[in-house]
Amino acid sequence: MKSVFMSLTALLVATFVLTGLPVFAQDASEAMTDEHIARIKANCQAAMGTIGRIHAYDAPTYINRNQTYFSISDKMMARLNARLAVNRFDASALVKTASNYNDTLTQFRSAYKQYDDSMADILRMDCKRQPVTFYDKVRQTQEERRKVNEAVLELKSLIDQYEQGVESFQIQHAAQLSGVRS
Amino acid sequence: MTDETLHHSEDHENVHHPRRNIVYFIIGSVLVAFALVLVSMSLYISSGAAQLDLSRPGYKAVQNEVEPSDTFVSFPASGEVNNTVIEQFLKLFRKQVKSVDNTDVFSPAALDEQALGLDSPPVEN
Repeated sequence: MKSVFMSLTALLVATFVLTGLPVFAQDASEAMTDEHIARIKANCQAAMGTIGRIHAYDAPTYINRNQTYFSISDKMMARLNARLAVNRFDASALVKTASNYNDTLTQFRSAYKQYDDSMADILRMDCKRQPVTFYDKVRQTQEERRKVNEAVLELKSLIDQYEQGVESFQIQHAAQLSGVRS
Repeated sequence: MTDETLHHSEDHENVHHPRRNIVYFIIGSVLVAFALVLVSMSLYISSGAAQLDLSRPGYKAVQNEVEPSDTFVSFPASGEVNNTVIEQFLKLFRKQVKSVDNTDVFSPAALDEQALGLDSPPVEN
């Protein structure tokens, strides 16, 4: 019993040590020089101005995109899917694409919210007093912006997939669509 | 203490109680209003409504950039399905998704350290 307990403790300690090591290594590799900190302090006010403008212009872009993405789902995809179902066509592939699209739209919204909150945090910071924190926050926000962009790319891919799905549906059901229903 | 003095003291308390109740009522109302404001603000922030609100400070200049939402045409959800209907759908779909064709939006390059002048200075040899 005692040896089992000792083994478990050793395993836990080893896990903590091994998982902790890369973190320490990462921190050490990203240690900032005094010159870099001085550069951040010197340029951060101008950077804040640029970030403020990006933040302001992102808002209408997001509102327009969010509205159009939602309309594509609600006023196009869902309506065609419903119409096909009412007419007893098998549109399961289109329904699946539309479902994936809606999930990605939810991801887009949550990724943008996270990104927008981080941008607001940056704009509230005193970058001259906290240059390292400011720099880290900018890098983190850049990563969050990348996630928003990835969601945009994914939505575009799903829109194309849906369009191709409708084209395939048209080819597969050519006879029925021409009026010769079996 | 005479009876007259006792009666006088009770009357005095009765006169002051309503005023105290009003003070409690006002304090209670303020506390309830404050709690409701906290709840509504947390809902406004957590629901994502804040991101769609351009009446916030700093967004006045970009309010005109928002496109009206009623320009998007709906595809009819009922009716027969034939080749013409599918062609009509594809035509409308391709036309309406054009506005989101550009995938450069929210490019991470906009927040690049180098572009913002926050990158590490070049090492001098």
